[in-house]
Amino acid sequence: MPRWLAHLVVVVAFAALVALAFSRVDYTWNWAGVWEYRQKFLQGWLTTVALSLAALVVSTLVGVIAALCLQSRNVLAEATGRVYVELIRGTPLLVQLLIGFYVIASAVGLENRFVVGVLVLSLFSGAYMAEIFRGGLAAIPKTQRDAARAIGLTPWQTLRLVILPQAVRLVLPPVAGQLVSLIKDSSLLSVIAISEFTLNAQEVNSFTYSTLESYLPLAAGYLLLTLPLSALSRWLEARFRYEA
Amino acid sequence: MSHRFHRILLSAFFVAATGFLAGAAAGLAAEPLRVGMELAYPPFEMTDPQGRPTGVSVRLAEALAAHLGRDLVVENIAFDGLIPALKTRKIDCIISSMTATPERARSIAFSQPYLKTGLALLVGAKSPVQSSADLDVPGRVIAVKKGTTGHQYAAANIKRARVLVLDKENAAVLEVTQGKADAFIYDSLSVFRNHARQRDTTRALLEPFREETWAIGLRLGDDELRRQVDGFLESFRQAGGFERLGEEFLPEEKRAFKERGIPFYF
Amino acid sequence: MKLEARDIVQRFDTATVLDRLTLCTGDIQSLVLVGPSGGGKSTLLRILAGLDLPVAGTVAFDGVALPRDEASLRDYRKTVGTVFQAYNLFPHLSALDNLLLPLVHVHGLTEQAARERVREPLERFQLMAHAHKRPAELSGGQKQRIAILRALVVQPRRLFLDEPTSALDPEMTGEVLEMIGELKALGTQFVLVTHEMGFAKRVADEVAFIADGVVLAHGPAAGMFEHCAEPRVRDFFARILG
Repeated sequence: MPRWLAHLVVVVAFAALVALAFSRVDYTWNWAGVWEYRQKFLQGWLTTVALSLAALVVSTLVGVIAALCLQSRNVLAEATGRVYVELIRGTPLLVQLLIGFYVIASAVGLENRFVVGVLVLSLFSGAYMAEIFRGGLAAIPKTQRDAARAIGLTPWQTLRLVILPQAVRLVLPPVAGQLVSLIKDSSLLSVIAISEFTLNAQEVNSFTYSTLESYLPLAAGYLLLTLPLSALSRWLEARFRYEA
Repeated sequence: MSHRFHRILLSAFFVAATGFLAGAAAGLAAEPLRVGMELAYPPFEMTDPQGRPTGVSVRLAEALAAHLGRDLVVENIAFDGLIPALKTRKIDCIISSMTATPERARSIAFSQPYLKTGLALLVGAKSPVQSSADLDVPGRVIAVKKGTTGHQYAAANIKRARVLVLDKENAAVLEVTQGKADAFIYDSLSVFRNHARQRDTTRALLEPFREETWAIGLRLGDDELRRQVDGFLESFRQAGGFERLGEEFLPEEKRAFKERGIPFYF
Repeated sequence: MKLEARDIVQRFDTATVLDRLTLCTGDIQSLVLVGPSGGGKSTLLRILAGLDLPVAGTVAFDGVALPRDEASLRDYRKTVGTVFQAYNLFPHLSALDNLLLPLVHVHGLTEQAARERVREPLERFQLMAHAHKRPAELSGGQKQRIAILRALVVQPRRLFLDEPTSALDPEMTGEVLEMIGELKALGTQFVLVTHEMGFAKRVADEVAFIADGVVLAHGPAAGMFEHCAEPRVRDFFARILG
C-alpha cells in the first residue's frame, strides 16, 4: 500500500471513530453561533502566528548564545549559561509568565504585553534550544576541530565552515520539535491577557456556550501551523541526510 | 473443614451480601445531586483551610440536597465551563452566583432568582474613570473575567477602549492595582471586598450600572428538577434561610451596602 | 629535514606525558616514531605539527624554531600537513570540496586555480572517480587517502601522520601504506607515528623509540630493528615482529 494511502486510511478511520463517539453523545450542535465569531478566530490565529514567529527567531538566538556560553571555557560565561538553563527548565512557563509580566516587566517599566510575552516565551524556549544546540556541538568529534586547526583555519572559520554546518544537520529534528512546542506553548500567553488564538476560542465559547464548536476549529488552527512545520523538518532532514 | 467453620464462613458471606445489596439499593434509590460551581469566589464559593468546599452557595446546595433527599456532590469547575458541564450531564445544576441572562437562557434554564445585585467597577486609584460612561474611551484599558456578565457587557458595549480578558479574578484585580488597567467590571460585592483589601491602589464605584439577578442553572427540559428547586427556594426563604446565610458570611457587606443604599439582597 | 627537539615537557592535567624528551636527527627525509601505546609518540607528533604547545622545551626544523603564540603557530600549520587516525574529512563536504577548502579559504587561491591544482594528484593516486562522493560514501582507506591528499595539495614542507592506518582493516591499511610509500619515493618529507613495523622498516630513514615520555632509542632504521642495544626496545620489536 503506498504511504500516502496508508496515512489517509488511518486518518479516516480515526475520524470515523470520533464521529461515532459524537453521534452517541446527546449534544446539539450550534455551528451557526460560532460562525458569527469567525473574525475573532482569524484575529486570534494571526496573533498566534505573529507571536510564534517572533519567539522562534529570538529563542534561536538566545539558544545559540546560551549554548556557546555552556561550551565556553570562561567560568563566568559557563555559569551564566548553566544557571539560566536550569532555572528556566525547572520552572513552569506559567510561573515565568506571571512573574515576568507582573513583577519584572513592571519593575523595569516594560508595559507592552506582546513584547513581554514574546520575551518570556523566547527565554523559555531558548533554554531548551540551548541544550539541543549544546548536544549538537558536543556530538561533533574533537578531531574535526583538530583537522580544521591543522589546515590553518581560524576559530571563526572553523565555526562557520566546519562546525556549524554539521551542527545544523544534527539539531534539525529536535529543533523542529521544539518549534512545534513553541507554537502550542504560545497558548499560555493568554494568562497575561494577550489576545491569541486559544483565548479567542475560549471567549467564543463563553458567548455561545458551544464548547466543541469553539474548540474543534482551535485544534484545526494549530494543526494548520504545526503540520507544515513537521513536514518541512522531515523534508530538510532527508535533503541533508548524506551529510554528517 | 470443620462444620463450625463452615457455618461461620456462610454467615459472613450472607452478611456481606446483604450489606452489598442494601448499599446498592440505597444507591439506586436516590442518586446524588451533583452541583457545579467554581470555588474561587468568596464568600459564595470557596474552600476552607482544609480544602473542603464552603460558602453561601455551598450551604444553599446542602439545603437543597437535604430538601430533595439526595446526597450532595460539589463539582469544582471553572466558571466558563459550567454551562458545558451542565449540558453534557456532568452536573445536575449550577449554583455558582451565576447571573440569569437572556443569552444564557438560550442554552440553559434558570430557577427563580435568589439574589439581586449588579455590575460595578473596581477602579485604579490614579485612573480618571468616574462612572461606566467613562469606560469606552480610546486609550483606556478595561479588565474583565472570562465568561462573566462583565465580559459580556464589555464585548457588547466597549469598542474603542481596550478590553483585557483574564482567567482569574485575582489577575484582573492585579491589573488594576498595578495601574495596567483603568477598571475591572465585576459584581458589586466582590468590588467592595477587593477594594477593602487594596485601599490605597483602588477605588470602588459600587453603584451598579446594570442590575442583575442570580439564579440556579438547570438543563433545558429538566422541568421536574426546576419545580423542585423553585419549591425549595420558596420554602428556604420563608424559613429565613437566606437571612442566616447573610449573617454567617456577609455581615459587614450587608451593613455597608445598606448604608449606601446599594441593592444587594436575597 | 633536520629536527632538533630539546627538553620537551608536556603535561595533561597532572600527568607528565613527555618528560624532558630530546630528539635530534640528521638531515633526513622520513622519521618514524614507534613505541608502546600511551608512551608519548602522538603527543610529540602534535607538538611537532604545531597543534599543541609544550609546557617547556624547544623545537626547530632546519634551524628554524617553532613559534610559541597561537597566531604564528597557525601560520606555521599552514606550511605543513597533518593526517589523523580518523575523522579527518569534513563529512558535510564532498571529497573534492574537502581538498578545495584549505586552498581557497586558507591559501587564498581562486576556486578555478584550486581545481586545477588538485586534478593531478587526484589522478595520480586514482581517486578522481571518488572526488564527488561524500565521506560517508567512501571506504576507510579512500577517506584516509583523500585526507593525505588534502594535506599534500597545499604543498607543505613536510607531513605529519598520526597512526593513519590504525583504524583500518588489513586491506585498506595496505592501500594507504602504498600511498605513503609512493610519497617516500617522490621525496616528500614526513614524520610518521605507526604500529606497522614492517612498513616502518621500509620507509624510515631514522626511527625513534619513545616510551614513558622519553626517547629510549634512536638511530638509522636498519640498526634499530636488527641490533638495538636497549633491551626494552629489543623485546618490543621481538614481540611485534615475531
